[in-house]
Amino acid sequence: MKDFRLFDITDLVMDEDFARWVYEQRPEDEEAWRAWLTKNPDKHLMVAEARSILESICIAPPVITAQEIQEETTRLLQTIQEQPLPIPGKVARMKARSWYIAAAILVACIMGSLFFFTNLQMEKEPFTWEKMTASRQLIEQVNTSDKPVTIALPDGSSLALAPGSRIGYANHFDSSANRDVYLSGEAFFEVTKNPDRPFRVFANEIVTKVLGTSFTVRSFENDTTIQVIVRTGKVTVYSQAVTNTRRSATDHKPGEVILTPNQQLVYEKAGHKFQKVLLDDPLLIVSRVAEQKMEYEDASLISVFNELSKAYGISIVYDSELLEKCTVTADLKNETFYHKLDLICTAVGASYEVIDGQVVIQSNGCQ
Amino acid sequence: MPENDAHADQNWLQQLQQNDEQALAALMKKYYIPLYSYGIRFTQDEALVKDCIQEVFISLWQRRDNIATVLSLKYYLLRAVKNKVLKSLHQKAHKTAIAQWQEKYDFFQEFSVERLIIEKQVSEEKAVALRKILSQLSSRQHEVIYLKFYQRLDHGQIADLMNISRQSVYNLLHEALQKLRGLWQAEFLTK
Repeated sequence: MKDFRLFDITDLVMDEDFARWVYEQRPEDEEAWRAWLTKNPDKHLMVAEARSILESICIAPPVITAQEIQEETTRLLQTIQEQPLPIPGKVARMKARSWYIAAAILVACIMGSLFFFTNLQMEKEPFTWEKMTASRQLIEQVNTSDKPVTIALPDGSSLALAPGSRIGYANHFDSSANRDVYLSGEAFFEVTKNPDRPFRVFANEIVTKVLGTSFTVRSFENDTTIQVIVRTGKVTVYSQAVTNTRRSATDHKPGEVILTPNQQLVYEKAGHKFQKVLLDDPLLIVSRVAEQKMEYEDASLISVFNELSKAYGISIVYDSELLEKCTVTADLKNETFYHKLDLICTAVGASYEVIDGQVVIQSNGCQ
Repeated sequence: MPENDAHADQNWLQQLQQNDEQALAALMKKYYIPLYSYGIRFTQDEALVKDCIQEVFISLWQRRDNIATVLSLKYYLLRAVKNKVLKSLHQKAHKTAIAQWQEKYDFFQEFSVERLIIEKQVSEEKAVALRKILSQLSSRQHEVIYLKFYQRLDHGQIADLMNISRQSVYNLLHEALQKLRGLWQAEFLTK
């Protein structure tokens, strides 16, 4: 944080960080500013006044509907498709590219396989709600309020649908082989266990498959990423390109990612890439009671890591030979996951990195 | 957010260079509201603003090979929309001097005083006083306030967009804020 003590009201109103706090209301800013005010109680008045000034600058968003924006986007795409490309070098390259596509289609025809067709189509059209649900008769619910809405599904599962989100499921949901729901936006699911009937969430090009667990899927059409966050249980995530083509052909499923608790999957729509990350604040997956025992005296480091790993469901990777002789004396009750790691690593002179959803410990060992 | 956002834009621009039309569509959807909001500050002609935004995106598509170095896409687009709108207005009005349409233009701004009363529980009396102060601000002060607090541009970008120095941006803002400050000061002193 800058030294805001030296700021006068106008400086404060003009400060970008201050404006971000007032306008965007992010929790991290809220915390930082509350803390600053506690330390500087004499500045309450100034901050309140600066806030009032900023809030009074209330500029109305333009009067334009989503429908109009959609029409304008369609108009733009039509124009650029009709217009020949003006730069000559560009045209040549485009021609080469169309030949390439033509060749690919020809090959595909000869092979008599649908594989390439589906793939080409895949790249051209993005997944939209309409495309995802057009051929299906669904019961749809849209949350137009500003709070999450809880929706109970016929199989006893439930979901909290975030504002501005939409969910659809078949009216024969309870009698089909799979429990399929279609999501645009964000929802937190709590799925009742049923190993015979997988529960699948279709969110744009991503399918999340579970047997029984709780997790969040976030997939707004305008976002560049799709996110899946797991709180309990295990979920499988794959791209629809895989379900449509390769999956039936082979048992090996290339685009599939398995997520365990406290892991988050980020799918970049543009690059069709999956990335596994850990949540910023992992939660315990075992009961609080187990955490109460996390007090160690001369305990073997490896056993501490094992307990930690179990408590959060996060794998911790280390060289067991190197760490064999390390011992820890620490009280890890009521600390966050990362703080626990920090404490342990400081104690034994090690460091850690989070790579692909796993914690990797680096250490030179102990004497 | 700004860093992530710049990163996301960079990704879209890369897609654009691979001739991905959907990336263009996505960028239009992402920036339509701020661009339209800015465009209609210069004219009440909604169709003209929409046409200008179309042209800006067509030219973005045509120049996609040279565009990867754009630092802030939002700033680039705002600037392009402003130039297009002012140019079309100028052509319509058959005026001549180029300097004139770049320097002298009206900037319409609606502050939603009603929203303040409803959402922030500002008293009606205060809202009326606020409206009065805002109506006394100059067109340039309005534009600075708009670019800073609605579009959230930095002072350098505002200066470039308005063809003035950073010091002038600061002065215009400072002056406008002093006026607003007077209004609230009374309230906080009596509390």
